Amino acid sequence: MEKIATICVYCGCGCGLFLHVEDGRIVGASPSPAHPVSRGRLCVKGWLAADFVHHPDRLKTPLVRKGGRMVRGSWDEVLSLTARRFKEIREESGPDALAVLTSAKGTNEENYLLAKLARAALKTNNVDHVARLCHAPSVAGLGFALGSGGMTNPIRSLLSSGAILVTGSNTTEQHPLVAAHILEAQSRGATLIVVDPRRTQMAQLADIHLAPRLGTDVSWTNGILNLIIDLGLVDEDFIIKRTEGFSALKDLVVQYTPVEVERITGIPSGDLEKAAVAFGEADRAAVVYAMGTTQHSCGTDNVLALANLVLATGNVGRDGTGIYPLRGHQNVQGACDMGALPSVYPGYQKVEDPAARERMEAAWGTDLPAEPGLTAVEMMEAAEEGRLKGVYISGENPMISYPDRDQVMRALSSLEFLAVADIFPTETTALADVVLPVASFAEKDGTFTSTERRVQRVRRAASPPGEARPEVEVAADLLRRLGVDADYASPEEVMAEISSVTPSYGGISYQRLGISGLSWPCPSRDHPGTEILHQGSFPIGRGRFSAVEQQELAEDLDYPLLLTTGRSLFHFHTGTMTRRTHLLDRERPKAAVDINPADAAALGVRSGTMVVVESATGSLEIEARLTEEVPVGTVYIPFHFAEAPANQLTARTLDPTSKIPGLKRTPVRIRRAE
Amino acid sequence: MTGTSAFFLRREDLVPLLEELAETLEVVAPVLVEGEAAFATWRGGALALDCENPLASPMEFFLPKKEVLFRYVQYSGRYTFSEDPPRARLIFGMRPCDLQALKVIDGIFGADLPDLPYAGRRRSTIIVALNCTSPGEGCFCRSMGSGPGAEGGYDLLLTDLGRGYLVEPGSPAGVYILRAHQRHFEEADPEDLREKERLLALAGEEIIKRGPSLNPEKIREAIDGVDWEEAGRRCLACGGCSLVCPVCHCFSVLDQGVPDGERLRCRDTCILSGFSRMTSGANPRPALGERLRHWYLDKFVYIPEKTGLFGCVGCGRCSRVCLGEVDRWSLFKEAAE
Repeated sequence: MEKIATICVYCGCGCGLFLHVEDGRIVGASPSPAHPVSRGRLCVKGWLAADFVHHPDRLKTPLVRKGGRMVRGSWDEVLSLTARRFKEIREESGPDALAVLTSAKGTNEENYLLAKLARAALKTNNVDHVARLCHAPSVAGLGFALGSGGMTNPIRSLLSSGAILVTGSNTTEQHPLVAAHILEAQSRGATLIVVDPRRTQMAQLADIHLAPRLGTDVSWTNGILNLIIDLGLVDEDFIIKRTEGFSALKDLVVQYTPVEVERITGIPSGDLEKAAVAFGEADRAAVVYAMGTTQHSCGTDNVLALANLVLATGNVGRDGTGIYPLRGHQNVQGACDMGALPSVYPGYQKVEDPAARERMEAAWGTDLPAEPGLTAVEMMEAAEEGRLKGVYISGENPMISYPDRDQVMRALSSLEFLAVADIFPTETTALADVVLPVASFAEKDGTFTSTERRVQRVRRAASPPGEARPEVEVAADLLRRLGVDADYASPEEVMAEISSVTPSYGGISYQRLGISGLSWPCPSRDHPGTEILHQGSFPIGRGRFSAVEQQELAEDLDYPLLLTTGRSLFHFHTGTMTRRTHLLDRERPKAAVDINPADAAALGVRSGTMVVVESATGSLEIEARLTEEVPVGTVYIPFHFAEAPANQLTARTLDPTSKIPGLKRTPVRIRRAE
Repeated sequence: MTGTSAFFLRREDLVPLLEELAETLEVVAPVLVEGEAAFATWRGGALALDCENPLASPMEFFLPKKEVLFRYVQYSGRYTFSEDPPRARLIFGMRPCDLQALKVIDGIFGADLPDLPYAGRRRSTIIVALNCTSPGEGCFCRSMGSGPGAEGGYDLLLTDLGRGYLVEPGSPAGVYILRAHQRHFEEADPEDLREKERLLALAGEEIIKRGPSLNPEKIREAIDGVDWEEAGRRCLACGGCSLVCPVCHCFSVLDQGVPDGERLRCRDTCILSGFSRMTSGANPRPALGERLRHWYLDKFVYIPEKTGLFGCVGCGRCSRVCLGEVDRWSLFKEAAE
């Protein structure tokens, strides 16, 4: 038996674990005691991390659509077909008729090469990935306010906090190792404030739980800031020396009195005051947030409001302080860092900046397009309208994870050519013209960058099944077929190129990545990495306050309930891996809509009753589950289940800045199924 | 070689001895993986014997987390089956707590109707145990009566005396190894045996000094007084306690693959609700607190009833991995002596 040290494939915590390998098969996993995040612990998904790897459903051979059926093809056949079709579409309709969706489950090396494939080979900036649906508002909001969209501090910094405000994060289920740190801080005396409409386990364990109405985050955040200003708890020294724009914000937030906030959000004014005092009085306070904050059509405003709070209280740049956007995927941070976004090259160098473009053109030895490309959800619109004709999707399953499922179906079906690389057949591979079987995280070498900007080594523990290949090889092959040099002997050589073109990764090499990895920015070979950002100054000079206001909330009498979506502890995203992990699937085998007993009584529904949930976008039939975890007027559906896809109901109302859809608030109505 | 029952192995002779053993057996030992100790196939590298007992117990070589019970192949409507024979293995450096876990499992999987895959692995494995002279921080084997010195159940037992190892055989297989590789061994001095007793007494005192000495009888009595609802409120349902426990042995069986495939036996955990949930959806232990309580009842009531041994060996691993910051043993404060 061998034990291979690697990084978990699920959430952004980036836990270190060992895969136990017997005769080339992975038979178990256990946590790494020395790893700075896992510290000898894992969540249930981590303990079962590689259980799906040898599942018989794995894609083992390349597939190509012939006469409406998928048949086996050779690698040479599918890759040359893919390259040829992309070239033809580019010649007929121009490069912007092509797009690449990379994968936050892929390695940095894979994301880098796929972004390079889009820009250097296909000549389009139409490259994006699932970050659009999770932390695009953080990249936009924190980028504006602080100069970097990354988490400001490492996870373990939370252990030194005196107050921790957690909002829009079901931390114990979605980032269990972050939750463990928060709960440890609480047991050492930190005050835990949880703001969440649902009574999650985190909310139940909190010292103060605020349950705002869906979509009113800007109001309570401004309200807390208003109270902190009133109580004289702002850090004036910090505001004067390191920030700009405070007076405009101060003038705005006076409107958000506790009474007004209670009217908008439903949070009792006394509770809001308690939270403001606890946060304002703490010597070191931190804000932790996730999708409940960002997945709104005002997602960027929500992030800016939270950034105001940490800036006004001087909670930046020190241990125990900071703002923590928790990344959902184990490498969504890395995929963003690698420039798998339509507007930036690796290291967030803007494509519109001629100097950055010249540098990348010199490095890649080709000319590059100047206009930013389409974002993920915009790609679906463009496809439906016929402007987008050829797409390469790496390991994403938009059919389940994107809003408005019917539209995604129409969009992907109307493409002239769709190539999908994945480890399992999905609802999206079913629509593909070619399917490329690729290696899972346990079958390849590379790096992942965790939510705390920690770049860590991923190691091959077993061989990919059948003819499946690591996607780094697939991407390099396609690059060569499309006329771009890509002779990489190993992922390590790709990382060498990444560090040469990505300033924040300049000092990162495989030799330097020990058990603790390295946190970027790490600009040079002798740089120790940066765990805490913004210590002396911000990359943009001064931190910027933004006077953000509560957005008008549309109400629809036809759809009196509000639906919010999320993930369960036992499943990950569209369930391709966890629903093939026996213990996890058994724990949560089917979808259910959570309804408050009071709402259920009015609807004549009991636990187990089948109900129809309808929104303006679509409808689905699903089992009801009665629980006090959701407040009256709000219902909740996890989005893992293809047989009851929550995104059948969600709409494409996009945040104007970050283009994230408002997945967390959809007006719906419910009736008993016939 | 005479009738003496204790031998001495010089430090520098350990690796040559293992190299000879590895010619015919797979030698499993604590090795360093990226700087951390873990039980894995020894391939001649450095041994990690001075570290804390690895987090993943060598019990996985007897009760794998996932094993193929057999493979099935369908041909013209008929099924044929195949299974792998157990492999010949030597586990080096197994600690007394894990050895005690093996005795407990022998009382379950090796009882009246023996579990064949387990029995096969048990027969084909040689155990070279290592007494604990420097116990880990969370260890409380002394309180559970399972350490720091091993009592039986091994083929060979080593005690680190500093300049070398005291080696004691515990089975005919152990005696055979001593004979077959006798050039590495010399007869132990009676002083060496006294030195062993002195070191183990020191280690035992160390364990008692570090943590409250718990008495299994008192834990059993305290179980009903614990606030399980509160413990369940903080539990994050990772299942780590039972997945890391060397005594936990529950499994589920599933067939993967149609028409050809494998019947798999996978480690299961009673911390998950699906473990006790019935087909109807009813669950006799619906709350996490109830499931935690059940876990302790199994260790301190049900397993002792069945085997005469406690289901806890005091290795401390469940506290090391607990994600919910549930300090396992503070639950039983009043039970502390």
